Amino acid sequence: MNEQKELTVSEESLSAQNRQLPTVAPFVDILENEDEILLYADMPGVSRDDVTVNIENGRLALSGVRKMKTAGVAGWEEFGEVEFRRTFSVPQTISIGKVNAELKEGVLRLRLPKSESAKPRQIEIKAG
Amino acid sequence: MWTRVNEFDRMFKTMDMLQSLFHNYGLYRPTASRGGVAEVGPRTNLYDVGDRLEIRVEVPGIAKDNLSIKIQGSYLEISGTRKTDTPEGYKAHRIERGETSFTRSFTLPSDVESAGVEAALKDGILTLRLPKVEKAKPIQIAIG
Repeated sequence: MNEQKELTVSEESLSAQNRQLPTVAPFVDILENEDEILLYADMPGVSRDDVTVNIENGRLALSGVRKMKTAGVAGWEEFGEVEFRRTFSVPQTISIGKVNAELKEGVLRLRLPKSESAKPRQIEIKAG
Repeated sequence: MWTRVNEFDRMFKTMDMLQSLFHNYGLYRPTASRGGVAEVGPRTNLYDVGDRLEIRVEVPGIAKDNLSIKIQGSYLEISGTRKTDTPEGYKAHRIERGETSFTRSFTLPSDVESAGVEAALKDGILTLRLPKVEKAKPIQIAIG
């Protein structure tokens, strides 16, 4: 089935910029210990300037745009220009100001430290 | 009668929406690192740039030392291992990236000079530049 629905083709629809970048959810590892939550996301080919990490209202939104330089004629292409995008709900216990993000070897590593008040504490039972 | 036309409209709109969701499905999916019947291995692209071939492979989180590239004539084999990079002592809520090893081999469309092959690893993408052998390079033909 042809996707074009218009009978006539207007100038704007021919522009290459109108093509929307396809979205793909990156694979993630999520781990937790007493002090922090770790989130590692695979985003190969994305450079630091094209990554955004947004935390707002309890939602963590990751976005990484992969651009590719064209080189010659493609024999085959199994991966292309994409936007890696995924959102998560973040618990109240995270201290947002201390979130740390690092992009290395195509892996985005986030550290979400828990706020002091949320860490587990032993409650001492006083005698008497 | 108008309600029946709306039903068709709704059906076609749904079909269009489903089609646009699945357009290019599979092309941009990230590599499945586990599960499935056959492990395909990391995704690759091959480009022909005239006097050389260029291969790009998606290898996020894999260090140089864990990759091995073998070339012979027009046969190329790339293998690698990804170790877990997650620290000990944490409870895992979700693990989708895994520890894997892969091997992918290709028969290239032309013979390459194995001595002149260059490989670079940046941002999780391995790029190989493979110069073609002299007789495989393109030549300009002048019209007499």
